[in-house]
Amino acid sequence: MSKFLKRIGKRIVAGLVMILAVSSFTFFLVHFMPGNPVQTKLNTLIEEGIPPLQAQAQVRSMYGFIPHQPLYIQYLHYVWQVLHLNLGKSISYSGVPVMHLLLKAMPWTVIMVLTGLAVSFIIGISAGVIASVKRNSKLGDGLLLLSTFLHGIPQFIMALGLAYIFTTIFKIFPFGAPYNAAISPGFTIPFIGSLARHAVLPIAAYAISGFGAWALAMRASVTSVLGDDYILAAELRGVTPSIRLRYIARNAMLPLFTILTLSVGFMFGGSIFIETIFDYPGLGYTINTALAARDYPLMDGAFLMITAAVIIATIVADLLYTVLDPRIQRI
Amino acid sequence: MGADLKVIGNADQDAQVECQIRDLTVIFTTDSGDFPALNHVNLDIIKNKITAIVGESGSGKSTLGLAILNGVAFPGKVTEGSVEFAEHGNVLKLRGKALRHFRGPVVGTVFQASQNAMNPLARVGKQILDLGRSHHYKDPRKLLHEAENLARRMAMDPSRVLTAYPHQLSGGMRQRMGIIMALVLKPKVLLLDEPTTALDLLTQSAVLEIIRSIHRERHLTTILITHDMGVVAEVSDYIVVMYAGRVVEQGSTHDTLRDPRHPYTRAILRAIPRLTGDLNRARPLEGSPPDLTQIPATGCVFRSRCSYRAPQCDLVAPLLESVDTGHFVACHQEGLIRD
Repeated sequence: MSKFLKRIGKRIVAGLVMILAVSSFTFFLVHFMPGNPVQTKLNTLIEEGIPPLQAQAQVRSMYGFIPHQPLYIQYLHYVWQVLHLNLGKSISYSGVPVMHLLLKAMPWTVIMVLTGLAVSFIIGISAGVIASVKRNSKLGDGLLLLSTFLHGIPQFIMALGLAYIFTTIFKIFPFGAPYNAAISPGFTIPFIGSLARHAVLPIAAYAISGFGAWALAMRASVTSVLGDDYILAAELRGVTPSIRLRYIARNAMLPLFTILTLSVGFMFGGSIFIETIFDYPGLGYTINTALAARDYPLMDGAFLMITAAVIIATIVADLLYTVLDPRIQRI
Repeated sequence: MGADLKVIGNADQDAQVECQIRDLTVIFTTDSGDFPALNHVNLDIIKNKITAIVGESGSGKSTLGLAILNGVAFPGKVTEGSVEFAEHGNVLKLRGKALRHFRGPVVGTVFQASQNAMNPLARVGKQILDLGRSHHYKDPRKLLHEAENLARRMAMDPSRVLTAYPHQLSGGMRQRMGIIMALVLKPKVLLLDEPTTALDLLTQSAVLEIIRSIHRERHLTTILITHDMGVVAEVSDYIVVMYAGRVVEQGSTHDTLRDPRHPYTRAILRAIPRLTGDLNRARPLEGSPPDLTQIPATGCVFRSRCSYRAPQCDLVAPLLESVDTGHFVACHQEGLIRD
């Protein structure tokens, strides 16, 4: 067990190093970006009549380093700020700390993407199992066709299509905004109802465009497991269909768990297209705003968070695997 | 139903038939045509005896094993014939639950790929309990107890092997676990498809010894599918030689090995190197094993590799005919073959 803890410790240290490496990369990316946004911002502030010293202080608080110092000092300063979880201040939302903006956007994305992911995963793997088991029948062919078709539609077309059908042609769901502005926020039934009604289309767009990939991956995985000797052996030993299905599903799901865990990591990038189309104030929406406004600190912060989330998800996937698959030694 | 199965031409007057195979034909459908993996196979499996089914790869012996379990799967299909079991009728007519409860409690099977015949994600004991649940065992502890006894008999530590995952067992242990899983439901027929293929010689003879003693003790009817003539000679009572989906020779092991009548049987026996005497006396079998896509539609299937080939062999397929009490051979030239 102490070996196991040691391994977790090693993975966490390696993860931290990787996060640091990526944040350094982001730093240099910003620094070498054409047009030098830092210097430009400083010049703009000075041109606006702000005294140079005060302008420097402002830029420093935004970017986390001072432009006129040598590069390595700037870098060390930036790293020091990152280590203190200080991601600087936003430009477009002038003066608001990046961390604050990200934390505010996070719940929207987590609710939307996590629900969408869960729905598409559950429906997708069920459809994949059926498509594989019934692959010599019309049902199997139909499911294969449907999942290939849905997998081929880009997310933004799916989102626009759903929005057009369900908000314009049939006015079933509201378009845009995370909830009805006329209802005051709070833990009340009308407000939660409004939240849910506004969330249906973004979640559906996410779930439907994710469904195909899960179904196709599960279909391939189940088909390969079905050819394994132990499944045939179980059948010829007279094992019940339900127990056999359990054998098949567990073995076939194994490779998909890695993808699922990584997807949860990538969730922190939000879904730029869906959130933008539906005016959903999550992380994807925030990143899109940052890109449009050249809000570099906000972009840096968001990318750093995605990096951290994906690296943490990788570590979790690794540990989860040792629990799910007895063949992987718990060293 | 059992009383209906008549014994034909057996030297042993008390012999009873456990399983009677008639005109069994299995066709494999592929893009390049239909190929018969089994062609009008007729066979009696004698009760409480060990019947060995021998042949090269492609001879149809494993397909025959699957057909006995009504387990021939796509792209193979049983197009003709019957597999009658005493008390169970024609197995090929069984469907759903009846078929499921036939496989396991009536015929226990040890698979060719016994090494991989267990779910890698579940403990061995759990899989035995799954078997019990599938066949409505009231008392799971009794089932585990039975498995423990069998494990002990096969020189394995029950508490270790039953709590292990399959990957934690060695190849030989997994093979023995496969035999335990076939026996734990106390079937009356034991079907073994190459049960000792992956084992070293010492483990092989130990496993054969266990199979033989359990066979005797439980009054089992055992069907042993193998390509290994040494194994056949060691354990079987009856022998069925298959070539390209047909039975070419069939009889008691004693008679058949002492006086083989079919050119193919003679050839494979000659190919075995002797422990004593000149190694060069072993003659390899000429030609290549039967390829199902190349089997001629008319005439004898073995003729291209046969040194007794006559014009008649190209035209008419020989029928399995009695040459002695309980000894059958399918060869036109049988009368000419003498040492």
